[in-house]
Amino acid sequence: MIGISLRSLLSHKLRLALTTIAVILGVSFVAGTFILTDTINATFTSIFATANAGVAVTVHGHPIAGETGGVGGGQNHPIPTSLLTTVRAVPGVKDAVGNIFREGATLIGHDGTPIGGNGPPTFGANWITNSGISPYRLRSGSAPQQPNDVVVDAGTAAKNGLAVGQTLPIVFLGGVEEHFTITGIAGYGTSDNLAGATIALFTESTAERVLEGQNKYDSILVSAQSGVTDVVLRESIAAALPSYAEAETGQQAAAAAEQSTESTISTFIGTPLLVFAFISLFVGSFLIINTFNILVAQRTRELALLRALGATRAQVMASVLVEAAVTGLVASILGFVVGILIARALLSVFGSASTGGVTLLPRTFIIAVLVGTIVTVIAASLPARRATRIAPVAALAEALPETQPLPRRRIVIGLVIFVLGCAALLVGLFTSAGSKLQLIGAGFLGVFLGVALLAPLLVVPIAIVLGWPVAHVRGAAGILAGQNARRNPRRTALTAAALMIGLALVTCVAVLTDSVRVSTNDAIEGAFRADFIVFTQGPDFNTQAAQALQQDPSLADVTEVRGTSVLIRGSSQGIAAIDPANLGSVLSLTMVSGTASAIASANTAIVDSTEANASGVHLGQLVTFTFPQGASVPVRIGGIYTANALVSGYVVSLATMEPNVPAARDTIVLANAANGVSPSQAEVALHHDVKAFPLLMAMSRSEYRTFVGASLDSFLNLIYTLLAFAIIIAVLGIANTLILSVLERTREIGLLRALGMTRSQTRSMVRWESVIISLLGAVLGLAVGLGLGVAVSGSLHDLGITEIAIPGSNLIFYAIIAGVFGVVAAIFPTIRASRVDILRAITTE
Amino acid sequence: MAAITTAGPSTAASEAFPIAARTTDAVKEYGKGDAMVRALDSITVAFDKGRFSAIMGPSGSGKSTLLHCLAGLDRLTSGTVHIGEVELGSLNDRQLTMLRRVRVGFIFQSFNLVPTLSALDNIVLPLTIAGKKPDAAALAEVVRITGLGDRLKHHPNQLSGGQQQRVAAARALASQPEIIFADEPTGNLDSRASTDLLDFLRHAVTELGQTIIMVTHDPLAAAHADRVVFLADGRVVSEMQAPTADSVLDVMRHLGD
Repeated sequence: MIGISLRSLLSHKLRLALTTIAVILGVSFVAGTFILTDTINATFTSIFATANAGVAVTVHGHPIAGETGGVGGGQNHPIPTSLLTTVRAVPGVKDAVGNIFREGATLIGHDGTPIGGNGPPTFGANWITNSGISPYRLRSGSAPQQPNDVVVDAGTAAKNGLAVGQTLPIVFLGGVEEHFTITGIAGYGTSDNLAGATIALFTESTAERVLEGQNKYDSILVSAQSGVTDVVLRESIAAALPSYAEAETGQQAAAAAEQSTESTISTFIGTPLLVFAFISLFVGSFLIINTFNILVAQRTRELALLRALGATRAQVMASVLVEAAVTGLVASILGFVVGILIARALLSVFGSASTGGVTLLPRTFIIAVLVGTIVTVIAASLPARRATRIAPVAALAEALPETQPLPRRRIVIGLVIFVLGCAALLVGLFTSAGSKLQLIGAGFLGVFLGVALLAPLLVVPIAIVLGWPVAHVRGAAGILAGQNARRNPRRTALTAAALMIGLALVTCVAVLTDSVRVSTNDAIEGAFRADFIVFTQGPDFNTQAAQALQQDPSLADVTEVRGTSVLIRGSSQGIAAIDPANLGSVLSLTMVSGTASAIASANTAIVDSTEANASGVHLGQLVTFTFPQGASVPVRIGGIYTANALVSGYVVSLATMEPNVPAARDTIVLANAANGVSPSQAEVALHHDVKAFPLLMAMSRSEYRTFVGASLDSFLNLIYTLLAFAIIIAVLGIANTLILSVLERTREIGLLRALGMTRSQTRSMVRWESVIISLLGAVLGLAVGLGLGVAVSGSLHDLGITEIAIPGSNLIFYAIIAGVFGVVAAIFPTIRASRVDILRAITTE
Repeated sequence: MAAITTAGPSTAASEAFPIAARTTDAVKEYGKGDAMVRALDSITVAFDKGRFSAIMGPSGSGKSTLLHCLAGLDRLTSGTVHIGEVELGSLNDRQLTMLRRVRVGFIFQSFNLVPTLSALDNIVLPLTIAGKKPDAAALAEVVRITGLGDRLKHHPNQLSGGQQQRVAAARALASQPEIIFADEPTGNLDSRASTDLLDFLRHAVTELGQTIIMVTHDPLAAAHADRVVFLADGRVVSEMQAPTADSVLDVMRHLGD
């Protein structure tokens, strides 16, 4: 029987070609994601390993309240410089050095713009003189000696044409430019660079000053005397440390750093990409089901003959599954190879991170092959089951009727899955159930599967409506296109459902972003009173900008807004602080109870009504905030306001926050035009002031609105890109169904040609069938996507998404694009159809 | 032997009828080199307008090939085919398509109906393809004589073989073509349905003046025709006017079928 499967496979090479491509695309996405993240991880691992070769023990502070540790440091409890003496005195310590390593030293390139833009982190650090411990290796020039000396990493230097002797402007923490002289170029361990980040190295006193770490280190790096093991030394040091600090061996520190980068990469790159890879495979499985369904239908007679000659049902099933498994296996291996190319391409786009080759783990190959093969076999198992139900007598019968009514069981199953999906989605979105994301994911899956199962019921009515204008414009070709689209509702439905999924997700995200846009615009118009806003896309910035603006007579009500995380009842929450004096002039909050100006009193907060309701907080109540440095402060609730897209959660005064956070950093600065100064004059003055701060952006309210719109658009574009694979597979699916249908209808097409249908009419017939299928997918996709988008947007009401907007022009655009996809998908099938040899079509049995 | 006349120029149609279709030195070869098959070996033959002609011959005699070439479904290797005064070899694909659409009708052995269309839609399909409205009176007449009145809304899979072939015949007639080509039209029918269909074709010729050229291997079918042309090995070997089943069978036996 296996021989029969393989021969069948070979004879269906063309028929399986698009199925293979679909599996290749899906698998390459999965494999590419793994290879990409593995390669980035491996790059970091090797960097950490070589750079910290001389470090026996690392001392750093415990993570502080409300924040989690990260690559850059700075979120751990700082180490006072005095601790260095303590550590040096521990027996077995050869040398110990203080290490300052923080984000916030942005180099300004020769073209005057920040190097790296908003991309990789920009680190500043102190030059460590003990080369036995230091991760930095001087490649040329000399170590920084003077306060204005800087050494830059070799990768950044090479990429931006930086050389020893040049003057380099540097911006610290969003402040003004300072000018340094490049005295040296250094590597990080044996690498040029820390995976694309920029590193600027200063003398210790300069680093302390510019990175705001006076008398504080981020860690202490220790080398061991010979004969003292890292483990023993770590124990001795740990015993000498105060409670806020801990000691790790060099290996532990490297492992922790690796783990933290790995989880960061997996959270921000790996997991999102895998979600979209899964969507592609899911869409691909529709195509696989359709292909094998059609193949089984075409082989009905052959399979029935095998049954008549004594093959068991199991053998018939196996013959289909073997064909699927071989197809899946071959496609998966090819997909793995394509995945390597994709990872390479992405790495070269991200630039920097790659140090040459890609990391190919056996695990990636195994997952790729298993995923591709299993998906193909599972998808083909439904058609395989159908094959087993072919009666031996079918070998002798005329062709089976093409359409069978949808079994009631299938309708019931479809409805149940759809309803369960909706329920899971709503529970996930609107309740605080533990596994929100899983429920939402399962909800989407259920909705898609349910609609796909029920779609055959919708094919006929929708195809009649869509086919009507086509029939009137295209005559016989149009009539036949409509008839063909609905002659096999299940096949059409499955084909359209694949496109539906991609379009539904796109529509859902479009509704969401539009709702965010409209809600934000509302908030900007309603809650936002300030004429101008100053902000950055990087981390928070220091107070230099606010100070400069306060000096400008054209501006009034210059107001800093700051943020930090605090622990409230054990959970970490972001809070905002603002100067109460100007609160009324820059923000207009709708109060439910109390007043906004209540925060002018010490240790008083206002909170939005949703948060208040959720955590049962009422006016006048005392809530304990635990600040990052450990201080617990009882805060009285002085007012409750309605959240909007810009302001939500707890808000306190600057005076309440300031004593409890290590450094003053603004998240935004708001300002008005001064009395008697026209807004345009004030704007000119503002832009002039902000020019001194290369990382900051200053905008008027309307500019800010446009800016928010543009960032939402780029988010939407990112989603389009990520869904491109799924949509390409869906379009392949339409082409696939049409080619298989054209092959199946060769005789009929030949007849139509004999009866006087021209080649162009034949092409038109196939093309319009394709367009009808695509538009069917669009109708389903837009409807489902609207439902999902409204549900998701509605669930974000607490985050200030108060308006639900339906982006009509986007939806029309999607429908038109779907029609165009239909035309594109039809290109090959139409060629195939118009080349049908009339004589062979009508004379061969 | 007496019934067999020699092949040659005398196979031209009788003077009384204008010519509907003819071939001159028609040659059709398939394949190349040793594998080459000469399906038509210099055939010169003409078919009268307004008559029912049959082409007979043993398997492989080239009768279907001749029909296909006459109908513009296939092209000759050399020689010419005319429908009316039009030489088919000079037409491009589109012109040939238009010729088939306007001047030619087909009936096939396997009925070749479009499964998604009702009987009525199948009948008017050539007109629909051409973007024409069917002539209501002519259509009613065709429907009446085929006896399909109560079956018009049915789909092909709801019709018997005989009914399907009558739909195919009605389709061939509905566009009022100059010639109907029928390729083994009774091949898939039982004797009762065959007789019905042949009576119907005969009727179309006699009453409506339709020209029909039919390929068949069934002497009973051929007996419904006005004239039979016999083919063997790609050549016209004989012909007969006003054939009967017995006389046709007689010739066929001599041809070794």
